[in-house]
Amino acid sequence: MKKDNVTTWTFLLAALCLLTLPAQALAGEVYKIGLSLAITGPTSDAGNPYAKGVEDYFKYVNDTKMLGDDTIDCMIRDDQYKNDVTKRNFEDFLDQGIVFYLNYSTGSTLALKKDFEEERMPVLPASFHAGNLVDSHYIFLPIASYSAQMIGLTEYVVKHNKGGKPKVAMFIHPSAFGRGPVEDVQKAVAAGLDVEIVEVVEHGKDLDNTAMLKRLSEKGVQYVLCHTVQSPVATMLKDASSLGLVATSFGEEGKITFLGAHYTGGNDLVALAGDSAENFYWTTSYIVTSEPGEGTDMQLALAQRYNRDEKAANSHNYANGMMVAQVVTEIIKRAKSKGKEINKETLYEELLDMNGANAFSPKTTVGDVTFSESDHQGVDTLQLYVVKNGTFASEGSPFTPEYTSKIQ
Amino acid sequence: MSYFFQLVVSGIVVGSIYALSALGFVLIYKSSRVLNIAHGQIIAAGAFITYALTVWMGIPIYLSFAMSMVITFFLAMSVERIFLRRLIGEPIISVIMVTIGLMSILDGLIYLTPFGTENFSFPPYLPTTPITVGGVSISWTQLVGVIITFTMIAGFSWFFKKSTIGISMRAVSDDQMASMAIGISVPKVFGLAWAMAGLSAAAAGGIIGNITGLNFDTLHAFGIVVFPVVILGGLDSIQGAVVGGIIMGLIQQFASGYLDGNWGLNGTGEVMPYIILLVILLFKPHGLFGIHEIERV
Repeated sequence: MKKDNVTTWTFLLAALCLLTLPAQALAGEVYKIGLSLAITGPTSDAGNPYAKGVEDYFKYVNDTKMLGDDTIDCMIRDDQYKNDVTKRNFEDFLDQGIVFYLNYSTGSTLALKKDFEEERMPVLPASFHAGNLVDSHYIFLPIASYSAQMIGLTEYVVKHNKGGKPKVAMFIHPSAFGRGPVEDVQKAVAAGLDVEIVEVVEHGKDLDNTAMLKRLSEKGVQYVLCHTVQSPVATMLKDASSLGLVATSFGEEGKITFLGAHYTGGNDLVALAGDSAENFYWTTSYIVTSEPGEGTDMQLALAQRYNRDEKAANSHNYANGMMVAQVVTEIIKRAKSKGKEINKETLYEELLDMNGANAFSPKTTVGDVTFSESDHQGVDTLQLYVVKNGTFASEGSPFTPEYTSKIQ
Repeated sequence: MSYFFQLVVSGIVVGSIYALSALGFVLIYKSSRVLNIAHGQIIAAGAFITYALTVWMGIPIYLSFAMSMVITFFLAMSVERIFLRRLIGEPIISVIMVTIGLMSILDGLIYLTPFGTENFSFPPYLPTTPITVGGVSISWTQLVGVIITFTMIAGFSWFFKKSTIGISMRAVSDDQMASMAIGISVPKVFGLAWAMAGLSAAAAGGIIGNITGLNFDTLHAFGIVVFPVVILGGLDSIQGAVVGGIIMGLIQQFASGYLDGNWGLNGTGEVMPYIILLVILLFKPHGLFGIHEIERV
């Protein structure tokens, strides 16, 4: 009796295995991707919507079966902007067999550069620091570098300044992120960009910027180029407004025109600085939701689909996260269509092949994403925006800074 | 000359806000000899409560500001009751370690809310046109901040000098055993000290948040930024917090106004307060107004 039972159970189990085998085959592959970023801690105001953008887009890919039966499993971990935690996260992701890695800060990207080389792991960071690409084969910047952004702003100043050589100051974050583009702007000036850099100011946790603004004003500074996060820029704009120093039109005489790179702008800046943000000039490669189009419609629909609030939905850093997820999905699609196995090597090849006729248009940016052996900067074009009546409006057409190629 | 006076005005504005932020440290230290490392988190909590009451519940901002001070008063009192009451009589280092743990707990709790990662700003409620006299400007936000700061500092000074409870608190600070012997409830004094520190932290948070916007990272950093103020003024002196705060504010503004950008210097406004602090401590190790206790054996 006992022997009969064992035999029956063995047959049943064997039948069950046979039945589930086709189902397992049909379930498709799972591609693991890792993202380590600051969801809490410093700069989490940018990291939080960025993480939501990545998460939502990969959910969308899986839910709409964009990759057929295959799915993406994106593991998102908070590193609190701490390099040691980022390294630990990255190592854990490696143990779990990731095929692609998304990183965040400038500091950790620079710190882990050697690890990426050793592991031959393709990486898209949220940091657009040009220095990430030095001595690196596997790091790719999603959009124009901070250097390109700051040089682009400086070129705009030179082109539109009335009178002689414009005097500018740079207002930067006291970190590797902030200092990143300073040397490249100085190189551009040495290469002939006709502007005088009066001062480079590294801000602290300032409650009041009066002394700094007065000093810059006394030195005849007409333009302040900001490369930091929104909060210190907002405090400075409010102080400048209180001192009556904010230009009401570009280059207004006796006043200061404020301009900023990607992480200084967006809706949060307007919310924090209020009316003082009027006439703030900002550049990024992303299209903002105040300038509706196909990409922003897609962004808002995605945010709505996954119940994100208005703030996240309209954040340019949500678009930022969404865009890197779009690029990763695209290279997986391309590798699959060529019948390749999906691994870090094939995805790296696909990134390098993303140029010419193979350029990728994510619609969330003002230009196509192109990568090659010699070009690791995705979107080369930038768009200038200016705050008018509390929203960012396009100023002119997308442009590519001239001096970035002259300083290489 | 207006440049000089502008720096003086800005220095006083910044310094008085430092003083208010430092007041929480002083109040707790004055009565219990404990440094509360989690003070920055309480400052941030006060600012966020004001915002939540104003924007989410639609309460007028002046009322929200007062309500947040009351809420933070009881919040800080509860913190003392739950976490610190049991540590009365234990080594000071144990209590300080608890406040470090408390800092982590409060960080974690705030990160669970939208305030942990997003930027917010109070709705505008003051005129945006600054007050300008003789080329020297001050914004309404700063002016209101200074008025609130000085009112509160005056109130606390009176409380400690004239009221019975204030005098009891000073007595506990001086000698816990002797205070108990004459019938003062030491646990109650500790609870009240924490509650008053919470109240002043909420006021500081509201004022700082109004100036910089509500960003958790910025707000809780003020718990550390004001450390040199407390050390300079003397850990147990309200008057010291005021003088120390204003000295720090002025040094920052003058360093930034006259040193930065010259002779290749930059960021001196951040460094100079610490240099001056070290120099002063060489001559006055207990700070400008700190009590130098002499123990006779």
